[in-house]
Amino acid sequence: MTDTVVAAAARVAPAVEPLLRVVNVVKYFGAGVGASVKAVDGVSFDILPGETVGLVGESGCGKSTLGRMITQLLPVTSGEVYLDGVDITKLHGEKLRQQRKQLQMIFQDPYASLDPRMTVGDIIAEPLVNFKMISGRAKDARVQELLRTVGLNPYFNNRYPHEFSGGQRQRIGIARALALNPRLIICDEPVSALDVSIQAQIINLLEDLQREFALTYLFIAHDLSVVRHISDRVMVMYLGKIVEVAPSEDLYTSQEHPYTRALLSSIPVPDPRIESKRRLVELSGEIPSPLNPPSGCRFHTRCPIAQVPGVCADVEPPLELKGAGHLAACHFSEQVRTKIAITV
Amino acid sequence: MTDPILEVRNLSTHFFTDDGEVKAVRGVSFSVEPGETLGIVGESGCGKSVTAMSVLGLVQRPGKVVGGEIMFKGRDLLKLTKEELRNIRGRDIAMIFQDPLSSLNPVLRVGYQIDEAMYAHDKIPRSDVERRGIDLLKQVRVSDAERRIKDFPHQFSGGMRQRAMIAMGLSNKPDLLIADEPTTALDVTVQAQILELLRDLNEQTGAAIILITHNLGVVAGLCKRVLVMYAGEIVEEGTAEQIFERPQHPYTWSLLRSVPRIDASRGHRLLSIEGLPPDLIDLPQGCKFNPRCPFRVERCFTESPPIEQVAPAQHAACWVTMERAYAEMGAGTITDTSPGAASGVHPAGRRLPAVEVPAAIGEAVGD
Repeated sequence: MTDTVVAAAARVAPAVEPLLRVVNVVKYFGAGVGASVKAVDGVSFDILPGETVGLVGESGCGKSTLGRMITQLLPVTSGEVYLDGVDITKLHGEKLRQQRKQLQMIFQDPYASLDPRMTVGDIIAEPLVNFKMISGRAKDARVQELLRTVGLNPYFNNRYPHEFSGGQRQRIGIARALALNPRLIICDEPVSALDVSIQAQIINLLEDLQREFALTYLFIAHDLSVVRHISDRVMVMYLGKIVEVAPSEDLYTSQEHPYTRALLSSIPVPDPRIESKRRLVELSGEIPSPLNPPSGCRFHTRCPIAQVPGVCADVEPPLELKGAGHLAACHFSEQVRTKIAITV
Repeated sequence: MTDPILEVRNLSTHFFTDDGEVKAVRGVSFSVEPGETLGIVGESGCGKSVTAMSVLGLVQRPGKVVGGEIMFKGRDLLKLTKEELRNIRGRDIAMIFQDPLSSLNPVLRVGYQIDEAMYAHDKIPRSDVERRGIDLLKQVRVSDAERRIKDFPHQFSGGMRQRAMIAMGLSNKPDLLIADEPTTALDVTVQAQILELLRDLNEQTGAAIILITHNLGVVAGLCKRVLVMYAGEIVEEGTAEQIFERPQHPYTWSLLRSVPRIDASRGHRLLSIEGLPPDLIDLPQGCKFNPRCPFRVERCFTESPPIEQVAPAQHAACWVTMERAYAEMGAGTITDTSPGAASGVHPAGRRLPAVEVPAAIGEAVGD
């Protein structure tokens, strides 16, 4: 199954080597004797250089765990993570450290992710110091350059995080992530803690930086509107599995998985006319426990078109190609748009 | 015309902190008709929650309502004793909060807490309370209500807890339900269910709803009329159609263009609002939005614009208004949203926000 996914992804852009290749990654957390939380359960995907790939899903779907495994902040239970062709799950110590330079992370909470006792200059310079890349006056110059890059006053380097607002702190976190000239940045809910008017500033900044420094992003968020805006492709996760991967243009018009369609139907649009025509796809029950996920298709317990008893409860649908660059894991993907109405 | 059930006139609430007087709400006036759904939108610190807390008499020290009237069914809530207010709160006006877990007592059964709200007010006959508790839980669509009513809050999911809070709020058949960010802590599919529930309950029970949120989409789906707050003041008021389709205040207009929409075609750039909301201790002179407004004119720096009618049922507090910004400043095609960008007004010596590099300050002074 994994091979078909990788092959399918390769078919989309055969000429370019992926910058990140995630192969059948699994994360189980121990939960007492014999039990385990299957947080991420066999996920594979590629990210090409310069691409922004969005990862969206509800709380507990495993999206942040996946991000943390890619950065090796969490060890994988099994599977491989290739960064620029090197499997970083097999690296340790200095080798891992050197390879990981190419990969940085931006965190959700701009208050918790900056050390309150360090100056902004020291926070941004810390990666440079860690890798003994630069020191003295050159370091200060680099810090000021980075501050200017993220739209902050370069002379703020001696200030402390508490002197900045949430949006400005997120800029500091971005400057720190840029310090080592990484190729891939994992953005884990980078704007969800920010106010609406500040979110746009940060989204625009991330887009500008991508263009300027040829960055590749994995953009993890629960807000499908934000994810779709910034991403070239969007991956939808449900209960530890990727259920759909679609080019962002296609996502709003054609969904191949019932969960994606339900998710889309729940998103309020700031337009009362559209809102009055929107029809919510009501999902029955609650998200099942990842301790004991449902058999077959994990979504079958809540799916409006599942055939139960039948194939949906018995056979796990593979994530397979449904259209140009469009993958979904559903036995009845051709019925998703005809049988599930999202407008009245 | 029916009489409004709630009429807030010139409400001001300040917080007296060690750093100074935080003028959180200043001169806010609005009314709510029976059965109406009113949305109050704005960002954190705009005063939307403090306004609701003031209505319910829940503002705590160092905060204080320093002026205004809150008329509820002909009585000024600010003139009532604590006891009289307690008789209205939870009975005629109910409130639900953002975080349903911290609003529920973890050691008491959900059913007990719903019943308690009814016993406290004696509006529902005592013999009916238990039966009504189960009916309420059914009404808010908790499945297997007879069994679940005996559960403790930790046995409920986030969405079910919020349903239980709504059941509690509705228990005494209130005339007005104030919902402060009721779906912000919930996942998007659960949020949609809660909003649908509120919409149905509004139709079935006729209770008016004030929905306080930062999410413009949520307001568009539920509310017929909308207030937009910025820095402690109402900057615009109108029907949902007016606010979303023909906003007249540059803040409302900018806010709508700064959020990515799921139905938008990709590739367009978001119009961000530069800078930060003002410090409520040290407010700017004139219009409070002028330090961030692309359409500001000279007058905006010195005189605070009053809220005036701009269309039938629509009011805005702006010297320019978007109608003029479209006609004279090319608002329809702007890409630069920095302060004064569309109007070209950068008064000499005015410091630009910190995000600008020093070179830009030099240019602005040169103007």
